[in-house]
Amino acid sequence: MIEISEVVKNFENVRALQGVSLQIEDGSFFGLLGPNGAGKTTLLNVIIGLLKPDAGHVAIDGEVLVYNDVNVKRKFGYVPQEIALYQELTALTNLKIFGRLYGVTGKKLNERIDWALEIVGLSERKNDVVKNFSGGMKRRLNIACSILHNPEIILCDEPTVGVDPQSRNAIFEMLKKLNREEGKLIIYTTHYMEEAERLCDKMAIIDYGKIIAEGTLEDLTALLEKKETVKILKNDLTVSKLEELKLMGMVNETEFYIELIPKEDFKKNVRLFEKFEELGIPDDNVEISRASLEDVFLFLTGRNLRD
Amino acid sequence: MKNVLILLRKDVLRFVADKPALLLTFILPPVLILIFGLIFGGSGEPQSKIKIIFVNESKSPLALTLEEKLDSSDVLKPVKEFTPEESKVPQRFDEETAVRFVKEGKYSTAIVLPEDFYTDTSSALRIKIFYDPKNAIESSLIQGAIQKTIFTQMSSLFPALMTKRAKKTLKGSKSVSFENEMAEIIGKYFNVSKDTIVKYFSEENIVKNPSGENFIGNIINIESKQVVGESVNNPGVTRMAGGWASMFLLFSIVGASLTLFEEKQEGSLKRLLCMPVTRSQILWSKYVFSTTLGIVQLLTMFVFTWLFFGVDIFTNFGNLFIVIVVSSMAAVSFGMLITSTVKSIQQANGIATIIILIMSAIGGAWFPVSFLPGWMQTVAKFTITYWSVDAFLQVLWRNVAFSGIALHVLILASVGVVVTFYSVIRFRKGNIF
Ligand SMILES: Nc1ncnc2c1ncn2[C@@H]1O[C@H](COP(=O)(O)OP(=O)(O)O)[C@@H](O)[C@H]1O
Ligand SMILES: [Mg+2]
Repeated sequence: MIEISEVVKNFENVRALQGVSLQIEDGSFFGLLGPNGAGKTTLLNVIIGLLKPDAGHVAIDGEVLVYNDVNVKRKFGYVPQEIALYQELTALTNLKIFGRLYGVTGKKLNERIDWALEIVGLSERKNDVVKNFSGGMKRRLNIACSILHNPEIILCDEPTVGVDPQSRNAIFEMLKKLNREEGKLIIYTTHYMEEAERLCDKMAIIDYGKIIAEGTLEDLTALLEKKETVKILKNDLTVSKLEELKLMGMVNETEFYIELIPKEDFKKNVRLFEKFEELGIPDDNVEISRASLEDVFLFLTGRNLRD
Repeated sequence: MKNVLILLRKDVLRFVADKPALLLTFILPPVLILIFGLIFGGSGEPQSKIKIIFVNESKSPLALTLEEKLDSSDVLKPVKEFTPEESKVPQRFDEETAVRFVKEGKYSTAIVLPEDFYTDTSSALRIKIFYDPKNAIESSLIQGAIQKTIFTQMSSLFPALMTKRAKKTLKGSKSVSFENEMAEIIGKYFNVSKDTIVKYFSEENIVKNPSGENFIGNIINIESKQVVGESVNNPGVTRMAGGWASMFLLFSIVGASLTLFEEKQEGSLKRLLCMPVTRSQILWSKYVFSTTLGIVQLLTMFVFTWLFFGVDIFTNFGNLFIVIVVSSMAAVSFGMLITSTVKSIQQANGIATIIILIMSAIGGAWFPVSFLPGWMQTVAKFTITYWSVDAFLQVLWRNVAFSGIALHVLILASVGVVVTFYSVIRFRKGNIF
């Protein structure tokens, strides 16, 4: 189990982590969700000991991890956000270099390389130069290079950025396999809600260096129970009506709709529609939709995730 | 240690896969050295002569003698004819056409011996030189060659000119007695008959025997003897090879050090840092790789100058190798310093290029430091280029023993160690890691 307690990390003028605490069970597929700049990468860097936290600590099974220690690093497979490969060399050469640096050698190394190539589906292309790979293939190799030493914990930092849907599915499948079949603990950061919804059994939402919600998908959407998102056609909404709506809850404007997450008072649809009638908004212009993580984020922060 | 070797292997593989880097390190320098070498020293054969226009309009036999002497000069090649576009018939230069050709930039110098170069009434030689000082070194070479020819080859003219002047100012019998008395005195003290001396005073004798193989003619006898590098195969290239090599070394080494920056940008450095690899191992592998690359590159360049220009690198190879190693160490420390100081690759390349060019210019990589004003020669001693270039010069040109380069080696090695050490400290604080 990984325990993150009260981790604080400040950069010159950014408070990147403001007291983050999380508990992550062995064998779980943990999602760390948050917009760009939320502090996801910083948190992973602190976990692996690349950054020294200003306060707080990280422990595995009760043992507090030391900053910048090769033995700590050995416990993890870290898949960086960047495509961290030697692009002018072949896939196989990359795997050999990184495998050896993880201390895997000889026959064992060849076995591990074959295994990793198999998992990421690049066995056929192992002798090709990485430069010529597609974005998705590079991402897959990027993962393969991080798991050669068979780590118990895999940290994936936004591993699907810039990847076509097909490769994305392949990456999902292989990570699920590593989690379900090999029992690896995976921490997966993303700013795509769908990914977290689809992959992770537990997740935390991070924003401005703070964990703002945590739990299973059900736990999180439960926050929104009976607080559905209400979409209102923008058509003939006046400014004063918009101001009225803002008093009713969290409001987010899109091109054609106003999205509204109603406050406690308006939980009951009756109250909601009474108010709409008052404002002269016809029922036909209103649609109530099921809550998603996207809505949870909106509800919690008042912002859209991808703003 | 094992990790350092793995990383080193990685750097070598990447370098070999990087065609532009290979080209810049091992192909471009020899090509440029080939070009410089052909300009500064040829392929070991005598340097080509400088062409000048020569016009002789004088009837005097003395003029002819001077012409012959200039024809056989080993610096100048007098050209006396030109072929006009229209006629295709070669034509002799005269003063007017000579001046025109110099003005048009076709030649840099014209020497004209005018009709009154030396006449019965003249008491001095009259020579006209027209020149275009577009190339200062060439101009002074030409002037020097002309003066040398006149001084050494025509020195026997001086007694004749002296008596002629006496004739002119003293007139009649007075001048005759001057001549006789001079001859008598000289004859008496030097134990030569008076008649022989009188003969030296006449022009006919000078024409017959212009190089002054006689008693008075030998008053100017320039004897020059090369005492350093006299047995060196290709002086021009041997003197300059170290300079060129030092400059190319700096460029490629800075490039090699900066790969650390590139690895940060592409993210592969981050991966290494998330692996059981220490920062020291990463720095060590870069250090060893860059230093080795520098040594191999310098060796390649010197072997090249040996192959193409016959520069003797083997007689003093032990010392040459020592200088190669310490030069490489110093260059790597410079590359490390740049890499640990700047904020981006572009900035690094810009700053490095400027510093390398300045160090090369004042450190003697392009031309001898002695060409610089005194205070700048002092400044030069603060560049690593100066110590490298001078050490190569000592080894290849003066063929010195180790004691002759001990100071150079000490300075280059110390700079290498101290600056590298300082850079490593900066790396730990800086924004690379
Ligand atoms: N090395 C650093 N120096 C200064 N600021 C940093 C550094 N790394 C990250 N930050 C800042 O910390 C915040 C969190 O960054 P990061 O953890 O990379 O976010 P995420 O991975 O969620 O997109 C951002 O505002 C970012 O600009
Ligand atoms: Mg990030």
